[in-house]
Amino acid sequence: MNLGARRVSNVKADDEAFEALFRSEYGRVVGIANRVLADSHEAEDVAQDVFIDFHRLHSASADYAPAWLHRAAAHASLNRLRGSRRRHRREVAQAAEEGERTMDPQKQLEVDEDRRRVREALARLAPKPAAVLVLRASGLSYAEVAGALGVGIGQVGTMLRRAEAALRKEVTRDTSD
Amino acid sequence: MTHLTEGTLRRMVDDPDVGREDAAHLEGCADCQSLFKSIQDDARSVARMLAVPDARVDVTRAYARVRSAPISAPRLGFRLPTLMPRSRPMVLALAATFVAIAILAVVAQDFKTNIQPNSVTPVPITVADMQALSQLGDYGTVTWTKQPNLQVVSSAAEAASVAGGMQPPVVTNLPKGVSANITYAAMPQAVAVFTFSSDKAAAAAAQQGKTLPKMPAGMDGAKLTVTVGPAVGEIFGDLKQGSSASDISVPQLVVGKSAAPTATSTQVTVKQMEDVILAQPGISPDLKAAIKAIGNPSSTLPIPIPVPYATSRTVTVQGVQGVALGDNTGVGSGVVWVKNGVVYAVAGSIKQSDAIDIANNLK
Repeated sequence: MNLGARRVSNVKADDEAFEALFRSEYGRVVGIANRVLADSHEAEDVAQDVFIDFHRLHSASADYAPAWLHRAAAHASLNRLRGSRRRHRREVAQAAEEGERTMDPQKQLEVDEDRRRVREALARLAPKPAAVLVLRASGLSYAEVAGALGVGIGQVGTMLRRAEAALRKEVTRDTSD
Repeated sequence: MTHLTEGTLRRMVDDPDVGREDAAHLEGCADCQSLFKSIQDDARSVARMLAVPDARVDVTRAYARVRSAPISAPRLGFRLPTLMPRSRPMVLALAATFVAIAILAVVAQDFKTNIQPNSVTPVPITVADMQALSQLGDYGTVTWTKQPNLQVVSSAAEAASVAGGMQPPVVTNLPKGVSANITYAAMPQAVAVFTFSSDKAAAAAAQQGKTLPKMPAGMDGAKLTVTVGPAVGEIFGDLKQGSSASDISVPQLVVGKSAAPTATSTQVTVKQMEDVILAQPGISPDLKAAIKAIGNPSSTLPIPIPVPYATSRTVTVQGVQGVALGDNTGVGSGVVWVKNGVVYAVAGSIKQSDAIDIANNLK
């Protein structure tokens, strides 16, 4: 009977751990996806899927939980970005979101256009460089980026440098085409 | 001193105090300063490119959404196979045992007794019903003390050694047109333990907006232990190189046998467990009726027949009662029977009459 009681308390403890994890990481996971998709609604969809996947397969008290979530958020949103069918919908949503702001229409068009071009370039990068850029731009520390991507912290600077050069090149290439 | 690496310089863009030696070098080195400047330019430019308006989130609402999301699979610790029409016969053969076990678990009549079926009975089942079974995970935890581990091996002898000495069956009369190329598969015994949790059950019911019937004493923590296998099988057909158990697709014929599954339990009577589990919202009335219709589950293994995919009839195979699936079109058919504590299955893209013939002549 003690065993049964312990099991019940384990279930409760696991649920509590998941809620705590959700509360501490949800904002960041959405932030990562939003960085990629530039659409907060779509970013929330991705983030929720990521948490559901995590909960199904892992214990919320696992040490690797935040790193797993960050990595999954980057990859899931980049995958979505690469899916061209979503692209149109995203642009529409994004335009609407921007439209709510008071911005000079000409300037707004430019912002939209830049953002679209950058996302297209990001979608063309290899998964790892794209993930490095997105994770770092979302405010993760070097140690957190290293944890999420399973690399040594010493490698992050080099990866970031190469990825930034590659993205700039992609964006420029796109413009000159 | 050698020049600073691009990685170090990049890090210094974010954190100028990262290393005193490096900072001193940079201060005195025009080459590094120039490279630093270009790296810093790229970094700033990319930061601007990736800038987006912050997403404003309502964490509490998001959490509620995630908690109420239907969890598709695999709650049982394994993923139930998806039935594709073209691989139907083989999937039936491989999946029948696992799914039957789950059903057997539900209908097990005497929890204190070791249950071992000696005949089979068809149970019409839909894919939705099969998926509903995965909701058992909402009512407790399923852990595999021995994981099901189907392996593709190179010989009958190897298959027997994986399966704890069980010899693969021998087909003596292969129908014309079926490749004599054999791939052997084997699985050691797998053991799953389902532990009922009244907390989880209550939470699952609450999510459906329902309350559970009053639960019998001892229900919480009651364990159901199910063993599957060992099992051995032969796949006739030309498989692609490097096949693993998961990418065996559309074989011409599969012949397998498995030790009949057993179920044992502790703490509660079956009727009680059955009532509680059958009350779960996801199980269709058809499946409930089918489960209840099984006369004597301690001696009958229910074979799930996917409703949209196959028809079934009772046949006599090797002197015992079995179930034949499919038809004589050659698209797909199979036969399942139990003899001397062993479940046998013959299935493939063959006529039903051929399947029965192979079954009757299996050594």
